[in-house]
Amino acid sequence: MRRLIPLILLALLLATPFARAADAPAIAAAADLKFALVEIAKAFESDTGRSLKLSFGSSGNFTQQIEQGAPFELFLSADENFIYRLADKGLTADRGALYAIGRVVLFAPHGSPLKVDGQFADLKSTLADGRLKRFAIANPEHAPYGRAARAALQHAGLWEAIQAKLVLGENAGQATQFAAAGSSQGGIVPLSLSKAPEVAKLGSFALIPAEWHATEPLRQRMALTKKAGDTARAFYDYVQKPAARAVFVRYGFVLPGE
Amino acid sequence: MSLCIEVRHDAPRLDFRAELPEGEITALVGPSGSGKTSLLRALAGLLRPRHAQITLAGEVWDDGEHHLPTRQRPIGFVPQHYGLFPHLTALGNVETSLLAVPGPARRQRALECLDAAHVAECAGRLPRQLSGGQKQRVALARALAREPRLLLLDEPFSAVDRATRKSLYVELRQLHARQPTTMLLVTHDLDEAAQLASHLVLIDAGQTVQAGPTVEVLTRPQSETAARLLDIPNLFGGRLEVHEGRPRLRWGPHRLSIGRLVDGDSACRFAFLPQNVLLVRPDKPWGAHLDNPIDGQVTDVLVLGSEAVVWIEPDGLAGEVLQMRLPTRALDRYRIATGSTVQFSVRAADLIVFTPQ
Amino acid sequence: MDWPAISLSLKLATATLVVLLPLALFGARQLARWQSGARPWVEGLLALPLVLPPTVIGYYLLVAMGGHSPLGQWFEQATGATLAFSFTGLVVASVVFNIPFAVQPMQRAFESIDPEVLESAKCCGLSAWQSFARIELPLAWPGMLSAAVMTFAHTLGEFGVVLMVGGNIPGETQTVAISIYDRVQSFDHGAAGAMSLALLLVSLATIAVSYGLADRLLKARRT
Repeated sequence: MRRLIPLILLALLLATPFARAADAPAIAAAADLKFALVEIAKAFESDTGRSLKLSFGSSGNFTQQIEQGAPFELFLSADENFIYRLADKGLTADRGALYAIGRVVLFAPHGSPLKVDGQFADLKSTLADGRLKRFAIANPEHAPYGRAARAALQHAGLWEAIQAKLVLGENAGQATQFAAAGSSQGGIVPLSLSKAPEVAKLGSFALIPAEWHATEPLRQRMALTKKAGDTARAFYDYVQKPAARAVFVRYGFVLPGE
Repeated sequence: MSLCIEVRHDAPRLDFRAELPEGEITALVGPSGSGKTSLLRALAGLLRPRHAQITLAGEVWDDGEHHLPTRQRPIGFVPQHYGLFPHLTALGNVETSLLAVPGPARRQRALECLDAAHVAECAGRLPRQLSGGQKQRVALARALAREPRLLLLDEPFSAVDRATRKSLYVELRQLHARQPTTMLLVTHDLDEAAQLASHLVLIDAGQTVQAGPTVEVLTRPQSETAARLLDIPNLFGGRLEVHEGRPRLRWGPHRLSIGRLVDGDSACRFAFLPQNVLLVRPDKPWGAHLDNPIDGQVTDVLVLGSEAVVWIEPDGLAGEVLQMRLPTRALDRYRIATGSTVQFSVRAADLIVFTPQ
Repeated sequence: MDWPAISLSLKLATATLVVLLPLALFGARQLARWQSGARPWVEGLLALPLVLPPTVIGYYLLVAMGGHSPLGQWFEQATGATLAFSFTGLVVASVVFNIPFAVQPMQRAFESIDPEVLESAKCCGLSAWQSFARIELPLAWPGMLSAAVMTFAHTLGEFGVVLMVGGNIPGETQTVAISIYDRVQSFDHGAAGAMSLALLLVSLATIAVSYGLADRLLKARRT
């Protein structure tokens, strides 16, 4: 038995080299960047020859993980408050940079009774007469796009009524999944995801005026963490260059300063 | 030289003391729950009693402080269901006892042991392919392979059918003759003990009731408890008295002569074996040479093959019934059937009297 | 097909086996022989991962291994990497939530050994180690194989705990199960479907093998 304990410790230690699998930095990105950032990252990789490991999820979740010591080197949040929070805790290199401003849309999958428009006219009526059974948004607890959706619905005076019909996605990406895949009659989801061909072909969408969620402006901020290495820094700069910005614009983001 | 055992334990209750003669087969007999299996396990070292003093030829196995582990004791153990290793062949089972012997010699020796137990042909078979009798022999071979100084057998024949049992008794005695190991055999079957063992220890409620040579214990129980354990049915109450200067046992209206001295008048219990009840044949009636003639009436007859059991109610002792054993042919010859009158006698020497302690 | 994720999952399952099996073997044998009123409590504790939601297990593991925990901080000082959100952290988590899958089949196997057989072993002069190697292991091996197979398959399929403790870092903690989740959210149903089918077939094969072994264990008992 005594012989086995060192063996087990050895096995455990041997597992550790797995941790150093590749030197590609781990990058946390808000779910709404799923298609746009993949494109930008591919361009970066072919330009510089360096690879990246992208993880997409809800900004709130990533903030928690980074606070817990997750090894991300760069965090692209969908809301600047999360960045400030990390900066205040001394977990980031600086207070970061605004890289894009996000927009939300009202999305309805093909075959849904909901007709989309930026004024929520049909949304009001389908909600009133009960044709709308399920409506997907991201979870406002930890997803900025969820909070924006809530703000917009509150602005339209529909928040109370729609409560019972809500399906909450764990992040903006899952919300889009729920809205587009046909399990609900529609939802409020990021424009950047709706514009991707894979999603666009599944339904129709209409842009929601930015003023409707003025309290949740979707100012998307990114910051390097204290663990950031050269590749992460290089990518940080790359994201702010014209080539990357063009991709953001194509996916419906508003550039900072516009 | 003998194995001295003294074991005291709380659960199960044991307060046992005995000396087993070396090189002999001793039977440990008692009813279920009497503690005989626990005692065997204490000897094997599988049970750690509260207090134990087990000494074999000067080597102390257990004395309350030091407990010699089972594997270091020079014992062989045959459990009730043989405990054969299910994944090993008969040969493999025996070889497991012989790990101290190196390689090729081990196999050879194992085969010899199997041969001595008359199961050499089972060498390559697994336990589940063996009959009850074969398993028993393999277990025995395995236990004897270590050439133990003490062989312990826990009701080894209880799971085997009657016919196989008879031949196994013979084989065990032959094995013992060839390899005279001290054997302790636990059984609840008195007949088995009578056929196998030269010494008998009666145990009840964790205590020794009587110990000694088998024949002596079987025919001369020293206490009422022993008599009951030996299943002697003829157990009665009476009075000891002196009559006309002679010692007598008073049983109801009958005055029986007994082979012991009596001083004064006292109540007692007494017994006699069914086989010691003699039929007084009508054609050869009582003569001065016969002791204690008593008349009685047959209340029941049971034929058990060649032997019959006859229940008799003696005259003047209403409600008391004694058992007598006769060859079945005698029933016809002397016209003994339920209701017939009969005269019987018990020799003075065969009356076993227990005085209250 | 996300080959890095598949490879990661296989590495995780293998590492779990290497670490957990010897520990579980020891534990299972001791439990099988242990007579005490405390035994049901210990068995219950070890069986918790079976009944607790993965999120509860994940939560406690995160508390125990996270950046603020003594264990997490020690690890970070020792190796420079975090314990949570790393492959090593996943192995630790995996070992913990697989305990009942490894211990129970082996414990049953040891328990099913006839006590008379173990006593006979002692009476044949076998030492504790010899008894273990020659008698107990050969009789209990179907249980051990079952434990290995169940642990391997269960690790391949674990989701909740892996997500909470490992995050979703490709090449580091993104296992097959998480990759499928990810692919669905990316509307890549082709990949999701392919990997799901593969996992289904592996799990089915595992369970069938496990039941077959349990059967063999029963047959070997009949002596």
